[in-house]
Amino acid sequence: MSYIEVEGLRKTFTVRKKREKGKLFREKEIVEALKGISFTVEKGELVGYIGPNGAGKSTTVKILSGILTPESGKASVGGRVPWKDRKDYVKHIGVVFGQRSQLWWDVPIIDSFSLLKDIYKIPEKDYKVRLSELTEALSLEKLMRTPLRLLSLGQKMRAELCGSLLHRPELLFLDEPTIGLDAVSKLALREFLKWENKEHGTTIMLTTHDMEDIAALCSRVMVLGHGQKLFDGHLNDLLEKFDKVRTVSVKYDIGTPALKLPEGVNADQKDGEIRITYSPSELPTSNMLSILQNAGNIREMTLESENIDHLIAAMYKEMDL
Amino acid sequence: MRAYFSVFRMRLKMELQYRGAMIGGIICQMFFGIVLVALYHALYESKGQALPIEQVSTYVWLQQAFFRMMVATDPDLNDKIKNGSISYDLCRPVNLYWFYYIRIAAQKLMGSLMRGIPMMIVAFLLPKGWGMSLPASIPGLCSGLVALFLGLLCMCALENITMAFTMRTLDPRGMQSLLGLLMVTLSGNLLPLTLFPDSWQKVITMLPYAQLLDASIRLYSGEYPVSDLPVVLLRQAGWAIVLILLGIWMWESNRKKMIIQGG
Repeated sequence: MSYIEVEGLRKTFTVRKKREKGKLFREKEIVEALKGISFTVEKGELVGYIGPNGAGKSTTVKILSGILTPESGKASVGGRVPWKDRKDYVKHIGVVFGQRSQLWWDVPIIDSFSLLKDIYKIPEKDYKVRLSELTEALSLEKLMRTPLRLLSLGQKMRAELCGSLLHRPELLFLDEPTIGLDAVSKLALREFLKWENKEHGTTIMLTTHDMEDIAALCSRVMVLGHGQKLFDGHLNDLLEKFDKVRTVSVKYDIGTPALKLPEGVNADQKDGEIRITYSPSELPTSNMLSILQNAGNIREMTLESENIDHLIAAMYKEMDL
Repeated sequence: MRAYFSVFRMRLKMELQYRGAMIGGIICQMFFGIVLVALYHALYESKGQALPIEQVSTYVWLQQAFFRMMVATDPDLNDKIKNGSISYDLCRPVNLYWFYYIRIAAQKLMGSLMRGIPMMIVAFLLPKGWGMSLPASIPGLCSGLVALFLGLLCMCALENITMAFTMRTLDPRGMQSLLGLLMVTLSGNLLPLTLFPDSWQKVITMLPYAQLLDASIRLYSGEYPVSDLPVVLLRQAGWAIVLILLGIWMWESNRKKMIIQGG
């Protein structure tokens, strides 16, 4: 039996809309946030969960963290059903909602942590060890006595993470943890998550819009759209399906010679640089290079693959999301 | 249990930070106290009343001193409901109703002690008939304190009921002002309940709002003899239980319907 087992999970929301002119009643719309999704996650996995806004990612996280009850379907995490025996279940999980805060606004973060210690009944000795481990890994030592309201966004996120991990959860949900963070904070956060996963075997489920988070962290990725699971597998396999074109830019020593390109391949010229977009499955890269070399003396050349965000956008478009 | 004790202590500590608000509150409540007492002096000069003026002004001052206990709401909790951070509290291994109840109790207790104690000291120093009088008796004072504690239990339960409405409307203002109006009128804050016609008083003193402060003040001033204590406490405790059960029921039914919107 897998650690997380989800089968046929459904959830609908009712959205009431403003009354239209000339109509007696407000319109109600039933939004199907999840249309029966199923998946399994093994202990110690680090899974990325992606999809466009409104795909149902957060709804899944909220169901699996015991906040929402689904209409139908089964789910079990470590043998427990999240929405039954909520109090017993939530002891074993940790959650970080990237856009919300769990720490007290006007209070030094160390006080918020010691409240969490009492909430989760963490033994004093264990708490001390874990706190010093986390504060070191997240470099929070100097901020412990600062009220939350004085921290920057990146510092706040690190403090939130520390708060969610104090009780050593088996499973950590991260809902857009890198939202709004600068490059340095993002890198530090990713390093930390990798460390936590490796060191403590914490199962991590991460939703994000930042593809680099996924690329850096997750061996496995699930794509969700319109409440359905569209892909489940390794990130590279996902990208291969959509990563079909390469762009080559060349500069020649003298001018821009005319190239003998096969039909259907177009070249753009700008400031003495030629940019050609081609698909390697039709025109192998070695053939492309020989065409370029025969045309003259190459001074500079770069070969680019498509930006990961563009790929995801293309994928969403193809999947009609 | 430790979690509830810990949140109580933390909220007490947090309330201590708001000293500026405390001074503002004291000035505001002193002003209201003086205006109200002056008003009753004017009333008594034109037409004397059966109730001695000293008792009326004591009533007014005690109501003002503990005003914070009655109307304080925790803005953090309302914000949590509005912006969805309540989802964090929903994934904690605690009973949410009591977790919030205790937090509110700490705020009300600390907030009103911080304001009430300096105000009562000032009110004792005011001239006779304008300020506060000493309690009718030592047992009266003690039973007043017990009644104040039960009153606090009722107040926190009422606050959690308002909170349950906020979970449905997402904005605290409407229900707060409606219930707040009932509260200031029927609790004796606006007009001492002791000045209402006797026939009215028979009904009003039975209502939950009279259990908040009125019962305690009457024990303090000897309006209720100490021998009435069991009846008074029983009434208060009864209401506290009813209000708490109602609140728990509302929270439970909210929980089932709750949706946390947005990412």
